[in-house]
Amino acid sequence: MVSTQRIDAYVSQVFVTLAILSALGIGFIFSKSASALPLFARQTGQSCLACHAGGQFPELTPYGRLFKLTGYTQGVRTDIPLAVMAVASYAKVSSYNGSDSSGVDFPRDGTANITTASVFCCGKITDNIGVFAQYTHDFWASQDASGSWQEHSHIDQVDIRYSDRFIDESHDFIYGLSLNNNPGVTDVWNTHNSAFAPVSSYVPAGNAIFSSSALPHDVPATPILEGLQYSAGLSGYIYLNNALYAEVGTYKASTSGLSFLHDAGVGGPGALSTRLSGSFNPYLRLAANHDWNANSLMLGIHALHASVFDDATLISSNSYSTFNDIGMDGQYQYLLDPHALTLLFSFTHENQNYSGYQHTANSFNPSDTLNYLRAKITYVFRARYGASLAYTQAQGSSDLGIYGASPAANTQANLSFNHSPDSKLWVPEVFVMPVQNIRVGLQYFKWSQFLGGQTYTYYSGLGTPSSRDASDNNLAFLYVWLAY
Amino acid sequence: MKQFSLILLSSLLIAGCSNLDRSRDLANPNVRPEVTARQLCSDCHGVDGNSVSPNFPKLAGQQEEYLVKQLQSFRHGDRASEQSYQYMWGMTATLTDEQIKGLAHYYNQYVIKLSLSKETDKILLAKGKEIFENGIPAKQSPACKLCHGAVGEGMATIPRIAGQHAAYLVRQLVIFQENAGRPGTPMESVTHGLSAAEMDSVASYLQALGG
Repeated sequence: MVSTQRIDAYVSQVFVTLAILSALGIGFIFSKSASALPLFARQTGQSCLACHAGGQFPELTPYGRLFKLTGYTQGVRTDIPLAVMAVASYAKVSSYNGSDSSGVDFPRDGTANITTASVFCCGKITDNIGVFAQYTHDFWASQDASGSWQEHSHIDQVDIRYSDRFIDESHDFIYGLSLNNNPGVTDVWNTHNSAFAPVSSYVPAGNAIFSSSALPHDVPATPILEGLQYSAGLSGYIYLNNALYAEVGTYKASTSGLSFLHDAGVGGPGALSTRLSGSFNPYLRLAANHDWNANSLMLGIHALHASVFDDATLISSNSYSTFNDIGMDGQYQYLLDPHALTLLFSFTHENQNYSGYQHTANSFNPSDTLNYLRAKITYVFRARYGASLAYTQAQGSSDLGIYGASPAANTQANLSFNHSPDSKLWVPEVFVMPVQNIRVGLQYFKWSQFLGGQTYTYYSGLGTPSSRDASDNNLAFLYVWLAY
Repeated sequence: MKQFSLILLSSLLIAGCSNLDRSRDLANPNVRPEVTARQLCSDCHGVDGNSVSPNFPKLAGQQEEYLVKQLQSFRHGDRASEQSYQYMWGMTATLTDEQIKGLAHYYNQYVIKLSLSKETDKILLAKGKEIFENGIPAKQSPACKLCHGAVGEGMATIPRIAGQHAAYLVRQLVIFQENAGRPGTPMESVTHGLSAAEMDSVASYLQALGG
């Protein structure tokens, strides 16, 4: 019988080897002479709307899904496989209630910012290998003790693929391997991924516009499936006859030779992505797809089992908690020029089983549950005018230790009166794309529940507790998105 | 085990550099047309040219000369409707004449399959049939069948229209009428006086027409 250690060692070797070969492949691209600026649209010579529903990121069309599943290898290999993206934004929160220093608690509120910029290194490497890799710069990443803003650059989404396709009149069989840095970046229906998911925010979150804990931009409790960005994943997948999709993968800590998948600045040395235990944290994704006329329907399930060391300092003590996620998801699309309609939902149930250490130190209960729902409807007309409505909801066990315990001194925190994670967020949006490289949008974040009720306790940066309404966090968010 | 992984993955990488039997490379003139048709074109047009989505035309049984002319027209940018440059200019930019001929032959050999239609409006279909067979003399619109054949099968550079997606046909009729990117055909004058309802009726009739 093969020991767990041997399996871990073998999977680690596969990870590292794939990483080395991928780096060689990227180097091969750069070795070509340069004459143009590309990305996927430049690789195929097509407009964004060929792959993205209504030309808007991230929802993929049936063709876009096949482009991704065949490893980004369709088209012509570009000489410079780079693209750039930038976001400028303006956010205004509803109320500073409960803040004893709005300048500290809402530092960029009511201010126009160049928020983030990304460089993408993407595209076809060989007939079977392709890459999607994003590197992001946050202009307002953090503040130091003197209040000065610090910028920060970091790796973002990574998906390096090997794929092949066997197709004739009776069969269409695609298979592939992906080296990636979060479960979900591989998914062609964007079921769970902080950047790609059917969530509220279209623009990259996690920047200083939202960095204050006084100003949440997403529900405060999410399943681990949504939180594994910057880990190291290896998955294999098949797609049969445009009808059946199956993906099996495993995730491990992005350490040592895989640290290029990790962002130490954002995640820090104790980040979840560096605390996964062993190499076997399995991920499963199954989906049934049916296309007819201008319609496309997908129904699927997803599951993840993860063991996470409780603390970076406790890895050697083998003290870890386990998280079991299982859920279902679906998508309906209607695509017929000039109309593009996409409806998405994803529901995940999570069992959180805490270690003895975690139970003693943090959680009140030995185990908790969390139900997490996301849904979104998007309509785009003529690949130019669009509107969407997104809904995110978390409901779970009340736990005094996690949702109600007072924070350390001088630490910002949001605490629930009834120790509950239950939250509901609506985000309507309108946007216009005058050309396919520019998008101007207005989102409104509307909280109908936050941490179990209509009010919660907010600890400001000065450590002063006060009452704050869920609706105080409502937010108008105007952005300009550019990509080339 | 580490050596095994390296050998296995190196083999995959090397094998992946050139794979003419299953290549999705549009820049390689050595990729056979049937490989390109299956690995790339099939994504939208179907492996046998019977596309599922009406956003994309059925190519099964289409006239070879017509397909050659259209692919060359996309490649040169002559066919310049909105959808042409959004979807087709890039896909044809690097195709050789030999590949274009091969692609045209590939799709011509298949038989068009009629889409299941919910259209049950007999009056609409009868009106469409009337336009197809007799045209609309009052609007100086000739019968479709005069050029496209008795059963809409097309000939040479005149396309098959029988069995085509109605939504695609309507879109093309509007493009012809508005002179919006398909020059060099008599279709602008043919469609000049057609109303939206007349376009809809003839397209619905043609979608249901075998031939």
